Amino acid sequence: MSLAIDVVKRSGKRPTESFDLDKLLRSVLAACLSVRTPEGEANDTARKVTGAVVIWLDTKPAVTSHDIRRITSTHLSRFHPEAAYFYQHHKHII
Amino acid sequence: MSKNKFDFDLIVIGSGAGGSAAATIAAREGKRVAIVEADTFGGTSPNWGDVPIKSLLHAAHLFDEARHGSRFGLRTNTIGYNYPTLRAWKDLAVKRTGAGGNRKYYENEGVTTIHGSAHFLSPHEISVNRRNYSAASFLVASGSSPIIPAVQGLEDSDYDTPRTILEAIKPPKSLYIVGGGTTAVELAQLMATFGTKVYIAEIASRLLPGYDSEAGELLEKLLADQGVTTITQTRTLAVEKENIAHRVTYSRGGSEHSLRVDAVLIAAGSTPNVDIGLENAGVAYTAAGIEVNDFLQTTVKHIYAAGDVLGRHSYTHTALLESRIAASNLLSKNKLTPDYTATPKVVFTYPSIASVGLSEDDCLRRDLNIKKAFAPLGIIARSNTSDYRDGFVKIITDKKGVVIGATVMAPGAGELIHELTLAVKYEITAAELAATPHAFLTWSEAIRVAAAKLA
Repeated sequence: MSLAIDVVKRSGKRPTESFDLDKLLRSVLAACLSVRTPEGEANDTARKVTGAVVIWLDTKPAVTSHDIRRITSTHLSRFHPEAAYFYQHHKHII
Repeated sequence: MSKNKFDFDLIVIGSGAGGSAAATIAAREGKRVAIVEADTFGGTSPNWGDVPIKSLLHAAHLFDEARHGSRFGLRTNTIGYNYPTLRAWKDLAVKRTGAGGNRKYYENEGVTTIHGSAHFLSPHEISVNRRNYSAASFLVASGSSPIIPAVQGLEDSDYDTPRTILEAIKPPKSLYIVGGGTTAVELAQLMATFGTKVYIAEIASRLLPGYDSEAGELLEKLLADQGVTTITQTRTLAVEKENIAHRVTYSRGGSEHSLRVDAVLIAAGSTPNVDIGLENAGVAYTAAGIEVNDFLQTTVKHIYAAGDVLGRHSYTHTALLESRIAASNLLSKNKLTPDYTATPKVVFTYPSIASVGLSEDDCLRRDLNIKKAFAPLGIIARSNTSDYRDGFVKIITDKKGVVIGATVMAPGAGELIHELTLAVKYEITAAELAATPHAFLTWSEAIRVAAAKLA
């Protein structure tokens, strides 16, 4: 599902991409599953986190991918600190 | 500053006191300026802060004085009020300032106005309503928002903020206020004057914890005379809807209490609006505000910040000072720094409370060797002719007698404090103040009396 929000990518590439909620959901889910979270709990956490990010995006028609990563990690660290650490650092961990 | 590769020379984020002066100054200097406002142009102070509250407090004070005029031989049995007309008066006062909803003003000054929430995408670019704007420099003056404490059930309980309560159709029958600072006590007195039973719950041990203790303690007594119940050292635990009313549970002295009120007002201070993509611009900040150097420059040299977003003070006059200084520093190579040493602050209750410089608590914290003097209003001739005795002047000097702080609680304290502001700013001694003639039958005689005790 795409929301009417433009996302400026890390490279500053234009034109921007539209915000893809499913992509975010998948990335949070992957972070949760990577730290051996049971599937049901991972799904639940991913939905809660993406819900909070969508609320934050409500007044922001254009954001950067860095913004989305930052806000997602903030909310994820509340629900699942271990997954949040993985989400923040996965590029370095691999 | 002018670089044509950008859409503007300067973009100001926020049209309140922190942004307005800078935008106007830069535009008058021939710069291409845009101002972005997420809410109503003019910001908090003229639209739903200082101006509406003070205009209603003025009417409330007239009403209260008239009701108690029988001791002067005035017949006041039939006095009453019409709340919709009071609100209309408040709206007129807001309109007359010219600062509320003043988008046209900026356009006449040659400033491009943009309505919407700004979000930094990069150090030189913001996005507003899916349109991107770039500028050589920025001034962040995004202001602050009310702090909503973590109280169980509060989010679902239809609570009021200082902004929403001013739009009420009529005063509630009973009101529970969370917070005991400036706005809380002003609104408490306002509502109590119009017949509301008010409870103020403050977490500190007295009202107005930022002022000298005498002010908060006397104000608590005076508010009690108006039917306001102050519950200090109190933590609000839960708010629950009970039909059209609210059940509030609070903790005090280790035990839980509850009471039923018509409305709950949250006046627990404000928090800087820093959620504007500052990370994308590389600007350092914390939840307490944006970090700036002495010249109001953020960690990114072309981005300045002023006003409430700095998290230092929340006075309109301070924000205006910072805005003017930020504009000067943006336009000129000679950098200026704001001087906060003699910043007066005023609580517009009746009697009003004003202070400047250091409080006694500040001096204790700094282990300063001080002298202090206290002059109650009751010893001044004016207290006889006005039949009013509640208040005082307190002056604090260093060991050489130089005035370093003062608190005035008196009718018109906001005016009286400026003599002491001058004394603090220009290091005038108490002896010099005492030697200055003060007109007979004015409240300012109390300043001379207090100063004379230190001379």
